[in-house]
Amino acid sequence: MTLDATKTGAERAIGVVALVLAVLAPLLFSDFWLNSILTQALILGIGAASLIFLSAYGGMISLAQTGLMGIAGYALANMVTQRVPGGETKGLLLGWDPMLALVLAILLTVGIGLVFGAVASRSFGIYFLMLTLTYTVIAFLFVGSVTLIGGFSPVAGVDRYTPGFIGDIANDRTRLYYIALITAGFVYLLIRYLIRTPFGISMQGIRDEPVRMASLGYNVALHRTLAFGIGAFVAALGGVLYAWWFGQLSPTTMGLDATIQLLIIAVVGGLRRIEGAWLGALAFIWINNEVTNRIPSDGLPVIGGTFNTIIGFVFLALVIVSPDGLMGLWDRMWDAARRRGRPPQVDMETPEETAMASSS
Amino acid sequence: MKVGRWRLLLPLALLVVGGTVATSGALATPAQSGEVKVAIMTDCKGAFAFGYEVDTAGALAALSQYAGAKPKNKKKPSAGITGGTAGGKSINIVGIGCGDETPALALKETRRLMNQLGGEVMIGPLSGDEAVTIANWAKANPQKTVIIGTAGSQDPTMQIAPKNLFRYHGDGAQWNAGLGEIVYKKLGWRTAALIGDDYSFPWTSAAGIIADFCGIGGRITKRVWTPPAGGDYAPFIRQLPAPDKVDGYFWLVGGANTGAALTAFEQAYGSVKASQHSGNLFLFFLGNFATVAPKLIGSYMGGFGTAQTGLKTKKANTYVKQAGKWYPGVADVNDGFFYNYWNAAWALVQGLNKSNGAVGAALHRALPRTLKPAFQVANGGTLRLDSRRQAIQDQYPLQIVEGTDGKPAALVAGYVPNVDQTFGGTFGPNKSAPGRNFPPCVKRKLPWQGKVQVVKNGVITKQFIK
Amino acid sequence: MPRVAAAALVVFAVLYVLVIADPPGEFGGGTWRTTNTGSALDDPSSFLTTVLDGLTFAGLLFIVASGFSLIFGLMRVVNMAHGAFYLLGGYIAYEVQQRMTGSGFGLQPGEVNTLEWVVPWLIAMVCIGVFGLGVQQLLLRWNQGQDLRQALITIAVSVIVADQVIAHFPRTVPAGIQPYGGNAVSISWPGWTNRLVDLHVGGVSYSLSRFTMLGLGIVVGIVLWLWLHQTKTGLVIRAGVDDRQMTSALGINIQTTFAIAFLVGSALAAFGAVVGGSQASIAQGRDGEWLLFSLIVVIIGGMGSLAGAAVGSVLYGLVFAFAVAYLPITGDNCCSQYSVVLTFVLMALVLAFRPQGLFGRAA
Repeated sequence: MTLDATKTGAERAIGVVALVLAVLAPLLFSDFWLNSILTQALILGIGAASLIFLSAYGGMISLAQTGLMGIAGYALANMVTQRVPGGETKGLLLGWDPMLALVLAILLTVGIGLVFGAVASRSFGIYFLMLTLTYTVIAFLFVGSVTLIGGFSPVAGVDRYTPGFIGDIANDRTRLYYIALITAGFVYLLIRYLIRTPFGISMQGIRDEPVRMASLGYNVALHRTLAFGIGAFVAALGGVLYAWWFGQLSPTTMGLDATIQLLIIAVVGGLRRIEGAWLGALAFIWINNEVTNRIPSDGLPVIGGTFNTIIGFVFLALVIVSPDGLMGLWDRMWDAARRRGRPPQVDMETPEETAMASSS
Repeated sequence: MKVGRWRLLLPLALLVVGGTVATSGALATPAQSGEVKVAIMTDCKGAFAFGYEVDTAGALAALSQYAGAKPKNKKKPSAGITGGTAGGKSINIVGIGCGDETPALALKETRRLMNQLGGEVMIGPLSGDEAVTIANWAKANPQKTVIIGTAGSQDPTMQIAPKNLFRYHGDGAQWNAGLGEIVYKKLGWRTAALIGDDYSFPWTSAAGIIADFCGIGGRITKRVWTPPAGGDYAPFIRQLPAPDKVDGYFWLVGGANTGAALTAFEQAYGSVKASQHSGNLFLFFLGNFATVAPKLIGSYMGGFGTAQTGLKTKKANTYVKQAGKWYPGVADVNDGFFYNYWNAAWALVQGLNKSNGAVGAALHRALPRTLKPAFQVANGGTLRLDSRRQAIQDQYPLQIVEGTDGKPAALVAGYVPNVDQTFGGTFGPNKSAPGRNFPPCVKRKLPWQGKVQVVKNGVITKQFIK
Repeated sequence: MPRVAAAALVVFAVLYVLVIADPPGEFGGGTWRTTNTGSALDDPSSFLTTVLDGLTFAGLLFIVASGFSLIFGLMRVVNMAHGAFYLLGGYIAYEVQQRMTGSGFGLQPGEVNTLEWVVPWLIAMVCIGVFGLGVQQLLLRWNQGQDLRQALITIAVSVIVADQVIAHFPRTVPAGIQPYGGNAVSISWPGWTNRLVDLHVGGVSYSLSRFTMLGLGIVVGIVLWLWLHQTKTGLVIRAGVDDRQMTSALGINIQTTFAIAFLVGSALAAFGAVVGGSQASIAQGRDGEWLLFSLIVVIIGGMGSLAGAAVGSVLYGLVFAFAVAYLPITGDNCCSQYSVVLTFVLMALVLAFRPQGLFGRAA
């Protein structure tokens, strides 16, 4: 249909414009905007992309992604920082080579992700959600209690140790922005490639009809575990970038607030489309910054409270009205045009839940 | 189909226009010269939420007193000030940071205040781990200036110590100087156990107590560190020796958990005897004034670097009159949260006057290395900064007593002159930072050992504590 | 093979506590066998005290987790706002108790009589029960079956409620203290609980308040069991847990039952908050803490099962108490800082071998 072609065309056009703006960003935006808003949006978008990858193509909504990002960041921070005069005082302070530390941190996170995934692979829907939440909480309490690797205090100074090919990002923040941009692009292309491979297609089959796929001889648990591992890999990339961007790790990085925040970003962007990851991240961070600058210290007028109340209501409204987030609104706009006023039903219950319900 | 196309293009156009408008706010705004941009960093969430108005009151009152500013709203310090000049430049308060004690939010607020809003000088932060974070940030931003508000962690001026970070008050260890000696001599404690939260501020706070108590000959028989995650305190209390096996307990559990931990102790051993318990300022402040202090009337505790209930000296009386007129009724001017922010802002004004309004390295050179704050008595009333820009400050251990209205009150019980951050060599930049087992319990002569003076009714007597 | 390894680990841990551990020596230091008080053979009264610590804490855990489990078991709703309900209930009870006793100050235990604890408890339970019911009717009734969507809705509710509670509580504070901000407050047990009970075993005296906590947990368990097994509504709930569609297909008004279950589950959160607030404190952050505890207990015990909530609470409480008391103290950094980690080992063991929980249904 020409309308589909127009939609694809429009999306491509917007994508190109966004990419051009992103590449030219250091010239267009102030330092603060570049370093705090845009870079952070790219990095959190990578984290959200790992969540949306699992939900859109694997049918698994995972709350473990924040924990995995934190694990990668903490691993990197502990391996890379060292005890120097006038330097950091928290963490293992191993002082290893940054390149080695980077590779090890990613490998460790993927390994842990595979273990988590293996245990969670036999759970679906809500059970999966809660199990992955406890993973993040375990990681949070672990780094908070085990003072050897950090404890409550921040493990800091991570941005001073980067591998050679990344260069000095402590002084040249624009460099970090471009690295984040390239990584985000890599993640996006990787995911789009993966979903077209046989593995990706069978994953989507498992998302839709796990029972049927099992009866066809596919190892459902293994596929889900591997998918979780890929999600862990993407989250690890986001985690090390976050460590370099923020310069420090503390348990709050993977606390309950941060976990819910990533979920809100993914839902705001859209749980069914990867582009939603960065759209949601940018929207969230921008609103957060604007609201924080404008809320008086004693809370919102009339009802009191902080930015959390606002985003809570926004989140609630989105889940009720358009569970597929902003990308869902976009999709529905096109569908409305196609059907001339009859919007399609959007069903929050994933097909496998229907299958589970009817089979129990 | 034409109608359909418009239905699409219109939202699309709106999206593009909206995006441009939104991001246009992102374009850089040029800096204005002729003014100094000052940010105040404090907490408005978490255990120290009250700090927001009290700290701001302290800083802005000092700016009003010494830089000719005027509060916009005498009942609400966060409304800001008008006027105010130092070194020929007008003072512009760009924002007040709202932290919650966690390092992550502290760094985010710092970036917002100092990068987005263009702050050049920061007065703050309030709490220990926030200061560790901000010290690391300051190291990477040498053209900015940070004057710590009330944070008590050791690292910022000992191990990290960037050249643009100043602290005109003692750290958490210094605040507890003299306490160990008081309980050793006046209460006869020879052995003690210690329980605290497992993170850097309690470690630092404990370090001061241990250095003092063990220095004079006491012995810490057990250190119990509780995870910040909370849960049930009973099993941790069981790790402490029973009241008949030890002379006293030092409490460094804070925040929401002081009351919980003390209740668990009562449930294990019956009611608490005030002469067997001591601790740091957590016992009294932050709302524990209502829940914990009533059970501990008579206990000695560490202070906050201020003579909490005032001193009867000319300087202190003048200070109370001067400080109290800007925001009457908002804060107790003798309270450390007000006093320390006042001194930080006062030092800033002096520095700006000397540098003719220049910030950056010129300000770092111009910031005073001595100050005459209200409660400094030694050296003719002059507080000095050491080589790492850390204050050598007189300290005032406190005692919880029953006030005239039946409520607990904090009385100044002693005076310790010239407490330095290294505790006479016990701590140092090349030594470990205070931790779960550092410092070890060793007998050692501290510079003020045997020189803790008795304070009666706000008067520092010439008697030493016996 | 893994089963054997896990079983061996558990047996070793039990033997370690009972027999193998040693008390610390005269001069400090220690080996892998050194614990604070030695083994159960060395110091039986410490062992007994630790068991009681674990069991009494389990009483509180059970009260809070049972509500969470009930709602999930029947309606498949993961009520992520359970912790926020806990927080709100705790503050309401505190405010009521302050109004009743009027001192505005830290209440000494002897000052509070039973009525001044019971009335706040009742009011908090009613308020939160009704509030929970409102949330369910308004936000969860029309999208039944969409589990993930409902989970997201309850997450949104938890964010909003927690933020609002922190902004508006505590309201009654002594002069000179700032109100609001989610600062820590305590509720006071009735005065008669403030004594130690001599158990006449090994010279152990144990706190009556903690026994009350356990007692309340047992009472809640018995009442819930009677309700679920001896009343018609309970019968419908159990049928609904087993097969929701069939139950409603049989013409039973499942909507009323859902409403009742959600009301009871929310009220239990407030019940737990009053007990927890008396025992420890109510402060910002307790909502996340107690949501986590509820989650862990039902993951161990199994969703929707009362017996599971009970067993999960007991296991978690005991492991927590024993981890703190009996982990070795070999050196500066070992091992008591890992006590929290040990509780997760418990959860990992259960998940590895029985992912649906000990008493849960196969998912």
